[in-house]
Amino acid sequence: METLSSLADGFAIAITWQNMLLALLGCFLGTVMGALPGLGPSNGVAILIPLAFTLGLGATPSLILLTSVYYGAMYGGRISSILLNIPGDEPAMMTCLDGYPMAQKGQAGEALAISGIASFVGSFFATWGLIFLAPQLVKIALLFGPAEYFALFALAFATLGGVSSTNQAKSAFAAALGLGLAMIGVDTQTGVPRFTFGEVHLYDGLDFLVAIVGLFALSEVFIFLEHRHGNADAADKKITIGRLTPPMSMIKQCTPTMLRSTFLGFLAGVLPGAGASLGSFISYSMEKKLVDKGTFGKGDPRGVAAPEAGNNAAAGGALVPMLALGVPGSGTTAVLLAVLLSLNITPGPLLFTQNPDVVWGLIAALFIANFMLLAMNIPMVGLFTRILMVPPKVLMPVVAMVSFVGIYGISGSTFDLQVMIGFGLLGWVLRKFDVPLVPIILGTLLGNAMESNMRRAITIDDGNWGTLVDSPLALGLWAIAIIGFILPVLVGKMIKSKMRRDDESSLSD
Amino acid sequence: MSDRIFGVVGLLLAAFYIWAALIIEESFLSDAVGPKAFPIIIACVLALASIVIALKPDPEPVWPSLGRLAEILAAAVVMFLYSMLLPEIGFIFATIFAASYLAWRLGSTFIGSVLTGVGTSVGIYVIFHLVLGLSLARGPFGF
Amino acid sequence: MTITTPRLTLAAAFLGLSALTAGAQGFTPENPECIAPANPGGGWDFTCRQVGKELQDLGLLDKTVQVVNLAGGGGGVAYAEVVNKRNDDNDLIVAASSATATRLAQGAYPGNTMDQVRWLASVGADYGVIAVAADSEIETLPQMLDIMKNDPTAISVAGGSAVGGWDHLKVLIAANAYGIEDVRTVKYIAFDGGGEAVTQLLAGSVQAFTGDISEAKGFVDSGDIKVIAVLAPERLDGEFSKFPTAKEQGVDAVGANWRGFYAPGGMSDEAYDAWVDKIATLYASDEWKATMAANGMAPLDLQGAEFQAFVAASVQQIQDISKEIGIIK
Repeated sequence: METLSSLADGFAIAITWQNMLLALLGCFLGTVMGALPGLGPSNGVAILIPLAFTLGLGATPSLILLTSVYYGAMYGGRISSILLNIPGDEPAMMTCLDGYPMAQKGQAGEALAISGIASFVGSFFATWGLIFLAPQLVKIALLFGPAEYFALFALAFATLGGVSSTNQAKSAFAAALGLGLAMIGVDTQTGVPRFTFGEVHLYDGLDFLVAIVGLFALSEVFIFLEHRHGNADAADKKITIGRLTPPMSMIKQCTPTMLRSTFLGFLAGVLPGAGASLGSFISYSMEKKLVDKGTFGKGDPRGVAAPEAGNNAAAGGALVPMLALGVPGSGTTAVLLAVLLSLNITPGPLLFTQNPDVVWGLIAALFIANFMLLAMNIPMVGLFTRILMVPPKVLMPVVAMVSFVGIYGISGSTFDLQVMIGFGLLGWVLRKFDVPLVPIILGTLLGNAMESNMRRAITIDDGNWGTLVDSPLALGLWAIAIIGFILPVLVGKMIKSKMRRDDESSLSD
Repeated sequence: MSDRIFGVVGLLLAAFYIWAALIIEESFLSDAVGPKAFPIIIACVLALASIVIALKPDPEPVWPSLGRLAEILAAAVVMFLYSMLLPEIGFIFATIFAASYLAWRLGSTFIGSVLTGVGTSVGIYVIFHLVLGLSLARGPFGF
Repeated sequence: MTITTPRLTLAAAFLGLSALTAGAQGFTPENPECIAPANPGGGWDFTCRQVGKELQDLGLLDKTVQVVNLAGGGGGVAYAEVVNKRNDDNDLIVAASSATATRLAQGAYPGNTMDQVRWLASVGADYGVIAVAADSEIETLPQMLDIMKNDPTAISVAGGSAVGGWDHLKVLIAANAYGIEDVRTVKYIAFDGGGEAVTQLLAGSVQAFTGDISEAKGFVDSGDIKVIAVLAPERLDGEFSKFPTAKEQGVDAVGANWRGFYAPGGMSDEAYDAWVDKIATLYASDEWKATMAANGMAPLDLQGAEFQAFVAASVQQIQDISKEIGIIK
């Protein structure tokens, strides 16, 4: 096997004391940054680029450090999702939906452990996928023209309804709100400003990190403030931590989920422009459609395993177009691409032949980081869960300040902080109305790409809107989207009554 | 009733959005669709969803008392002040002020809130600035 | 920072290239930052990173230049940011190119004009290319323009700039030179950067690509796309000499994308001179010559006031072309 011997060469390059220490450092810093709201994988990597240069590291050690941070942040994001109901970064958003309920049921340790295992499974198989399938996968990416991307995004929104709210209208409202917010700023196609009302700070649009931190973290602070008196004592009830390792039966129950989610997440990652958030989102909603009997959203371990396997697999998948085409598949790979370029390595079709040492060293680094993260994360579950023992009156000010610093440290913009406070208040109001927040973030994340691809497709076909449903692939995606949208509405009541009956039986394990 | 008001507000928002979309100044050379079409489609979805919400309201949410509402607004004002003060008095002092306020309002004693404030501020400074090397706001004393 | 200053002075004196600058030695950027007004992977990004890295390698800066990607509006977002928010930042430089001049000439940075910033220096020029997929039936530029002339809808051209931007303009200049009457019928699809545009060419969504040589190089080497015309006055040197120019195919179109930097309008003279000096030193180095050769860049050596005048002329010229081919009034 030529591939395996190349991989062995890669390990030979990667395994030195210096590199192992760098990987350890990267994994640790990445996990911390992933867990802190506001700092995600992309700015985590960006923050450490200067460090890599200051240390005077060569190409391979730099990449080892930075990819460890990347994978570490993908692992770390789940911690605050599960413990605080605040996603540490955007791909961990879906992990809140079942992770936080699990923590409230006293299963925080199990949730952290199972999500750690799911993260490992996702990245592990994705890295193998990267090794063996990269050239073939590039062809999949090339099947996607503008019309297909538009259909893919539409599919994501169509399957939204069932994910986080029982009220479809409110999900649709939230999605439209998110898409609408994404439109703010200079139009990428023609360069005209939209919805900026002359405010220059809005020209580059709203940063989705500002939106996510405001909507989730600050609104959580407001909710605590609201409940301090009255039923505050009820909220102060001791949260039990429970066991720290998941029972074998839970791992068994989650295994098919992890494998399916890994596959879906990896595919989403391979498509440039879809990325890890879409990976975790699609994994969660598909898994919910497949196996949910009414326990999803109430603390089902599979609801934690699916998005974590999905987003970590997507993180690996996103490296495929970056390495093979030089086109970043996610925000983080955009930063990694920049690193490669500044190391004088041009990713693209010839990278595998021209710089095999870099590619295989990088892949070996991914494996090393992945095992290190698993080894680090499982024993540390006990440590993480201690966060739950911190009383809210101490924890919440810390969360609020970390949120501010996360945003301010990156952008240095007072305006961004003020927008974030606005989002915090908005998030509080919307939570009162039971409007789900996830679709808003999805809308702000995908809005611009969705619009640009729609406009490109139609311009290519001379203003003919029919082009959006013109290829077999696009038609297929639309069909899934429509089924995903119609099905819950049509048979919703039937399923709901069935859910109720199955509720008790599935909770017992 | 809350949901009905929410729906109406949503409708107004959609109308405002369409108006704002219509006044986008198109450039001299555009693509086949132009910068207005997609926002208008979104506004229509927003309007439809708002109508459904208004017509089929969910059960009434539990609204906080006026006092609690004032509490939330006060916290928002303090955060706003924080964002203004950051570049002026530097990260450490601004953060001590804001974190102490929040800790106090969440039920800490006076001493407890000051301790929380100082701990948060110094802790974040160490992790974000000294370890991660992010540039935080610099005050008159350099921190 | 006072510790680092003597070392830099020494470096500048040692290299003996501080001719332009009397007071330059007094200034050292504390946190040197370069804004690339596009996503990573494009030309502006390349300019920032490559120049930033080599400035450090040559010892002209002792701190790493932090590259910030600020995409949007064909550079307009970054321009507005610099003019409105960072106007007196002495540590900041911004990558610019013909695309910047194009947008300025067409008034596409709303409310901004070229004299709101200080133009620093150029670091070379990148000639435009028009390319098609390797398996395309089209072999020459006139062949493609002929198809366009008969049926403008038959060919979609992808590029990394917004509609009306420099990548777009290059095709229009060629179409105009070939005698296509209403160049506005030419179908142009805007992508977020040259990389994405080439990908869609490979995917078959579009039929042609317009961009710079540096953007196309990797895919030409791998044999995925073929360059049908370089928009240079004559054939380029080295490995790029195999590509035919538009001119030798009878289409009198030249499109040089110069690359350079501007700085905030309120930058102090001291800082401005220091930056000009650093970039001039870089440009004269052998390392930079090697970089230019490797990336198909042609020489363009302009600094300070000279560069300022060049950009002004360039803006004027693009305004004239745009009027002539009827895309602005």
